[in-house]
Amino acid sequence: MSELAIVGQWAASPGAEEIVTGEARYCPDIRLPGMLCGKLLYSPHARARVKKLDVSKAREMDGVFAVLTHADVPGENSYLYAQPDQPLLVVDEVRFQGDAVAAVAARDARTADAALAAIDVEYEELPGVFDPLEAMQRDPDSVMTNQVYRSGDVAAAIASADVVIENTYRTQWAEHAFLETEGGVGLVDDDGGITVYSSCQAPHRDRMQIARALAMPESMVRVITPYIGGAFGAKDEAHVQIHAGLLAHAARRPVHLIRERRESILTHVKRHPFVVEYTTAATSEGKLLAVKARAIADAGPYTNSTHEVLNKFGEFIGGPYKVENIEVEKIGVRTNNPITGAFRGFGAPQAAFVYESQMDDLARQLGMDPLEIRLLNGVETGTKMYTGVVVREGTAMKASLNKAAEMIDWQSRDQLEREPASHLRRGWGVATILKGSGLGRGLSDHAGVMLEMHRDGSVVLHSAAADMGQGITTVMAQLAAERLGVDMASVRVVRADTSKSPDAGGTSASRQAMVSGNAVLEAADSIRNTLLKLAAGKTRIEMDRLDLKAGKLLVDGEPHELSVSDLAQRAGNWGYPLHAESLVHFEYPSDVPEVSYRYSQEVFQFCTQIAQVLVDCETGQVSVERMIAVHDAGKMINPGGVYGQIEGGVAQGIGYALTEELVVQEGHTLNPSLENYVIPMALDIPEIEMEVLEFPEPIGAPLGAKGIAESPIIPTAPAIRNAIYDAIGKPLYELPMTAERVLPIPDGN
Amino acid sequence: MAETQIAFNINGNQEQIAAEPNQTLLQLLRDELGLTGTKDGCSSGDCGACVVLLDGKPVNSCMVLALQAEGSSVTTIEGLAKDGELHPVQRTFGEAWAFQCGFCTPGMLISCYALLESNDNPTREEILRAIAGNFCRCTGYQGVVKAVQQAAAELRATNSSEGAPDE
Repeated sequence: MSELAIVGQWAASPGAEEIVTGEARYCPDIRLPGMLCGKLLYSPHARARVKKLDVSKAREMDGVFAVLTHADVPGENSYLYAQPDQPLLVVDEVRFQGDAVAAVAARDARTADAALAAIDVEYEELPGVFDPLEAMQRDPDSVMTNQVYRSGDVAAAIASADVVIENTYRTQWAEHAFLETEGGVGLVDDDGGITVYSSCQAPHRDRMQIARALAMPESMVRVITPYIGGAFGAKDEAHVQIHAGLLAHAARRPVHLIRERRESILTHVKRHPFVVEYTTAATSEGKLLAVKARAIADAGPYTNSTHEVLNKFGEFIGGPYKVENIEVEKIGVRTNNPITGAFRGFGAPQAAFVYESQMDDLARQLGMDPLEIRLLNGVETGTKMYTGVVVREGTAMKASLNKAAEMIDWQSRDQLEREPASHLRRGWGVATILKGSGLGRGLSDHAGVMLEMHRDGSVVLHSAAADMGQGITTVMAQLAAERLGVDMASVRVVRADTSKSPDAGGTSASRQAMVSGNAVLEAADSIRNTLLKLAAGKTRIEMDRLDLKAGKLLVDGEPHELSVSDLAQRAGNWGYPLHAESLVHFEYPSDVPEVSYRYSQEVFQFCTQIAQVLVDCETGQVSVERMIAVHDAGKMINPGGVYGQIEGGVAQGIGYALTEELVVQEGHTLNPSLENYVIPMALDIPEIEMEVLEFPEPIGAPLGAKGIAESPIIPTAPAIRNAIYDAIGKPLYELPMTAERVLPIPDGN
Repeated sequence: MAETQIAFNINGNQEQIAAEPNQTLLQLLRDELGLTGTKDGCSSGDCGACVVLLDGKPVNSCMVLALQAEGSSVTTIEGLAKDGELHPVQRTFGEAWAFQCGFCTPGMLISCYALLESNDNPTREEILRAIAGNFCRCTGYQGVVKAVQQAAAELRATNSSEGAPDE
C-alpha cells in the first residue's frame, strides 16, 4: 500500500465545529418536552442503619411525579458491572457518604429539592471503619481481596544483595474532576422501552445494568452517549444513568438527572490511596536483584475496580526493569471511606511513585547517576518480564530515557544555577515507566463497528466506543478515510448508540485506538476490496495496481478518471453492498509461553519524563520550571490527539504530585469543591516539552499504533519527587508533596 | 417568587424576559433562553465553564444574577460566529487541539475572544493570564496558547490588508 495520506496528519476532531460554536450537546444540555428534574437523596453519614424511611409526604406533593426507594426497584437493586455489590438505593445500611437512599422526579429543581426535604429518614449512626491497616488487623472480613504474586526467589536474592533499601510510601485519594459532572436522561419510548442518554465510558455495559435494574430484556433498553465532558476512569462504572432510567420508567416522563459538583465529588470513585512497604535489593554495581512489595489499598465499601487496580499495580510494581525475583502482596480493604476505582492508569501511577522514587534512593546510595542506573536495568525488546510477558517492542524504554536526557542536556544540567537565590534551590528528577494497553490476556477484549459507504461516496461509521474527549472518534474517522481513499469531511461518525452500533467495550485501559481501530480497518478493507474489484472490472486492470486516495482511483499511483464516488455509484447501481460489520479481538500471539501473571498486558506504553523544579526553602513551595515528556506511540494516527493526551496527562500528574488531595476525616470529604481541591490551572503549569517516538508495535496494533492515554500521568509525580530530592536533599515518601511535607529543609541545603 | 421583567441584548438581539430574584444569569441563559452552549461546571465561580461577556467583559455567569443583566449586552459562545462565519479563534481551537472533551471550550473561547479584542499580539504569558480562571482537565493549555496566537496572526493579517486605522 502507498504512503499514508491521512493517518499521521493533524486532523481536527469531527465534532470540532459543534464544540466551538456551543452546539455540541452534553447530557446537561438535553431538553425534552415534559422533562422532569431528577435528584437523589444521599446519606449524610459514613455508616448508619436506616431506621425509618418514609416517602409518603414527598409522594403527595404537587409537581412530584415519582419518589423511589429500594422497594420500588423492579429488578436488581445492586449494580457495578464486575461485582454488583453497591445498592442503587440503600436497603437498611448506608456504608459511605455517597450512598443514595431515595430518588425523586419533579417538575423542576426547586420542587425536587422540596421533595427530598420532605422525605423522612431516621438514621442510627454506626461505628465506621476508616483506617484500612487497623481494620485488617481487627477484622479479617474487612479484607476485600488479597492477591499474592511470586516469581523467583526473593529471600535468597535479598540475602545475597550488596544493598537493600526499604521504605514505606503513601498516596492520597485523588479526584478526577472531569468538567461535566455525571449525568443521564431517561425516557420511555413509544413501545414501552427505555432510552437513556448517558455520560459514560461503556454504553453497552450501561444497557446491561439498566435492563437488570428494570427487569427488562436488553432489547428494550437503548443507551446513547451524547458528547461527554471528560471521564478519566470515573465514568467507567455506572453513576446516575440507571437511576435516570428507573425514574423515567416510574414517572412515564423524561427525567434529567445531573449531579451537582459537590455531589459528584462526594459520590463517585476516587483513585485508591495506597500504603506500600517496598524493598529493593541490588548489587554494588546497581543491578536490580529483587523487589518485594506489600501494598494496602483503601477500597471503600464496594468493590468497583479494586481487583483490577490492584492487579495492574502488582503487574508494574517492578517498573520497566529486568527483575528476576519479585514478591508482591496486594490487599484491598473494605472501609466506610469514599469508594475507589478506576482513574487513568489503574494503580500504575501509585506503583510508579514507589518504584521510581526507590530507584533514585538506590542510585544515591550507590553514588550512581539516576539516568545510568535506569539504563543499566531497563528492559528491551525480547526481555522476559517477571510477569512472564515477553516484551515485543521495547526500544522506547531506553530510547525515551536518552531522548529526554538529550532534551534537557542532562549531563550539563549543573551549569544552570542550583541556588539562584539564598532561599531557592533548583533540582532535576527523572522517571521512566511502562504501562500496558488493552484489558489483559485472558479477558475478552473485543470491539465491533459498522461501516457503510453511500452512493455519493460519503461514509457513515457506527461505533459504540465512547469518546470522552480523548479522541477515538477522530482516530476511527482517519483510519476509515485512509483506507477508503476519501477525505475526513466525508466520514460521519455517529456517536455511540446501542441500538445501532455493536459493542465496543469500555473506553478504558488505553484500548480503543487499538481494538476499535483494528475493527475500523477490517470493515474499511472489506468495502475497499469491493470498490477495487469493481474498478478492476471496469478498467480491466489488475487489482494490485489499484489504490484509492484523495477521492480518486489510482492506477500505479497515478490518478485515474474514475473517482471513489463513481465507484460507489456503480456499487449502488449494480447491487454490491458497501456495508461492513466487523468484530475484532485484541490479539495475543499464540507462540508465547505461558504467562504467569494473571490478566497481564502485553503492549507497553514506555515513556520518560524529566522535571526541573525550584524549591522555595522559606515557604516550601515547589514550582515546576520545566517538564520534558518523551512517549512512544508506536505510530501516531492523530498527532493532535497524541500531544493533547501527553500534555493533559502531565498537567494532571503535576496536580497529583503537588496539590491534589481529598481530605477525608471519618469518612467525610472535607473539601468537596473545585475551590478547595486544588488543581493546577493555566498559570501553574510550565510549557511541557514533548517528543513522540514511533516504534511500531508488531502485533495487534493498527498500523503499529498503540494506546497512549494512561501513560502521561504516570511518571510525573516521581520525576518531580526526585527533582525535589535533588534540590533540597530530602526524599519524600508521601503524596501530594505539599509545602508542609517539603518543609523543613534539611540543614546544609 | 416575584418575577421582574428585564431587557438586555443577547448576541446582538434585544430580549425581554422575566427573571426571578435568585436566578443566575447562567440559569437564565441555559434554562429560559435555551442557550446551552454556556456550561455549568461548578455553579460556584471556580471553573470558568460559564464565562460570557457582560458589556464586553468576561464574567462567570453563575456568579451574576440575571437581574444584573438589565440594560446590558451579553455575548455567549453562540454569538461568536458572524453570519455563519466562525471567528478565527473558533477555527484555530479545532485545528490546534485546544480542547479534548470540549466542555470548557465555550468559556475558554469567550475569555480568549475578549483578550483578542484588546490585544492582537498576545504573548504566552498574557494568554495564560486571560484564561487563568478557565479550568481545563483534559489539556495542559498548550493548544489554547497555540490557537490564540494563530488566530491573532490571522487577525493582524486581515487588519493590515484592510488598512490600518488612522492613529
